[in-house]
Amino acid sequence: MKKIIFIVAILGFGLICLQQKSYAEKKTAHAEYKDMAIRECNSCHKSEGIAPNHDSDFTRSHKELAGKTGNNCSQCHEQKFCLDCHAGGDTGDNLSLSKFGRDSKPKSHRSDFISIHPIKAQDNPQQCYRCHDAVAFCNSCHSRFPKGNLRIKSHMMTGPSGQKYSFAIGEHATEARRNLQSCQTCHPEGDVCIQCHSSGKTRPHPRNWKSGNIKDRTNGKMCLKCHSPGTF
Amino acid sequence: MALKRMFCLLTGICMLLTSGAAWSAEIHGRSSTQYHWFTDYVTGNKQAEFGEYLSVSVTKIDQAGKLSIQGYGRLTQDVLNGQGLNARLYYLYGDYSNLYNKVDIRVGRQFVNSAAGTALIDGGKIDLKKVGPVNFSIMGGRNVIFNLDGEASHGEDFVWGVSASLADFKNTDAELSYFMKLDTAGIARDQFGASFKQYLLNSLKLYSNTRFDMASETFSELLVGVKYYPTSDLVFTGEWYQSYPIFDNSSIYSVFAVSRYQEGVFRADYTINDKVSVNAGYSKQFFADEGSDADVFEIGTRIRPIEKVQLNLNYDYRNGYNGKLNGGAFEAIYEPIKPLELACGVHYDVYERDRITGRETARKYWLGGRYKINKNMNASIRIEDNVNRQYSSDWSGRLVFNYNF
Repeated sequence: MKKIIFIVAILGFGLICLQQKSYAEKKTAHAEYKDMAIRECNSCHKSEGIAPNHDSDFTRSHKELAGKTGNNCSQCHEQKFCLDCHAGGDTGDNLSLSKFGRDSKPKSHRSDFISIHPIKAQDNPQQCYRCHDAVAFCNSCHSRFPKGNLRIKSHMMTGPSGQKYSFAIGEHATEARRNLQSCQTCHPEGDVCIQCHSSGKTRPHPRNWKSGNIKDRTNGKMCLKCHSPGTF
Repeated sequence: MALKRMFCLLTGICMLLTSGAAWSAEIHGRSSTQYHWFTDYVTGNKQAEFGEYLSVSVTKIDQAGKLSIQGYGRLTQDVLNGQGLNARLYYLYGDYSNLYNKVDIRVGRQFVNSAAGTALIDGGKIDLKKVGPVNFSIMGGRNVIFNLDGEASHGEDFVWGVSASLADFKNTDAELSYFMKLDTAGIARDQFGASFKQYLLNSLKLYSNTRFDMASETFSELLVGVKYYPTSDLVFTGEWYQSYPIFDNSSIYSVFAVSRYQEGVFRADYTINDKVSVNAGYSKQFFADEGSDADVFEIGTRIRPIEKVQLNLNYDYRNGYNGKLNGGAFEAIYEPIKPLELACGVHYDVYERDRITGRETARKYWLGGRYKINKNMNASIRIEDNVNRQYSSDWSGRLVFNYNF
């Protein structure tokens, strides 16, 4: 631990030394350059030592630039630039823009995204929720399908006629740990989980479980879903 | 509720526009009138809607030009299935900047960002600039949540947050922020966020951001990355990312054990010249347990063989835990004459979620054209056909008339 602190301290000191020169230099206001071609922007960036951006990686990586206080996106873009992708807007500019119903889709939602999204949704557990609310959005579609109608791998082990976990195979524990968010899309209240995981049966909590944190934040309401009053 | 707000927005805009002649404020924006038809995924019914998207920006309201109003919303009317009127207000806020050259104030519906959290809020945001080397920001308001058909916020959905960030250093960005989300059960989420960026040696960028969830006492996200750009046209990126699924405290899922997800990314983006740029990348995904990982390869190119033609091609291949995905997108844009733009494209994906579902194919073909009528007006049409597991052919499209004012 001491070694790590020492290395971090050395690195920090080095960065501060390198930074001294630039303390006197200020960020450039970008509003007057907003109509410039990206290539010209990046040429200037490079000469100033700033990384080129708005390149072909921008859709994936823009969070690093935009997802912070004091970003300078608004110097060139109105908020609709963000919300056309993040909230389904459509300014009618982009011919390649496709829609799902009345909402526009970003390019990352390719071809038949309804069918592909079970693969994509599990890539990064946080990715979907940068634009979609976990319960409100996912469940507004998933809840319309009859139970047993979706083709979920871990639910199909017992045969096509009914979707039930095959406990003997024991797959549901590892699948749930990896992709618990996908359980929430069809079972927003977790009713099927509580059937077994309520008090005294199968403990669902992680090893370093801090029960007080949830208890304090929900006035114990969450604990009462499984535990009797006074037992937690 | 959203409908009322939408009408308030439209009424407000009309009042502003009609009073504009006797007022020095500048009003700009876009009216995008659209007709689109599609198949409702759940019911399978054909649906057609008229839509009006309106964005407006009112500036120079006061003499100093510090006050502005920005708005963006849509109103749609179904004409086939009796689903009626639907509205979505994306944002509508008043912005007063540089009060005492120190403070920016923004009030209304707005999109707010910090390292600790992002939200669409009905509320306010105050930025206090350059207190020594630090900017401070505080925001809060009703949490606006959209579902497929409208707003899903409840009366108790609120968010607030504070942040402190380094002010105006050319080569360094750093931020520390806090974000809290409240709902019917109490504190749904409270988390700290931090971000850092440093440019070095004229060709290196180091960056990192993280979120720490207070309830689970876990770093729910951690990203560390480096970009190396020996020239302005060539960028190498290497990133390491890890995350845990995090749930609102009001969700039963917040009490369950979860596994860590990790991802390593390496990619290169190269603009060869004005006519050709290429990119390639590789990601390795780790899903906690041994053997449950995935490899993702991607390549892409943008080619402009002649001034009037642009070709874009992207392909990616994913194989590993949770299925295979093998496909890409191609699009071509052609401007035969100045006011006319023609475009077409194909999406093609072959995917296999697991052995039980088998291998399936999804294709999308689309065609579009836009004509610029004059400086302020353009009209466009786009049609697409989806051929996939569910449909042997499913046509949808839209007609758009844009008016810029």
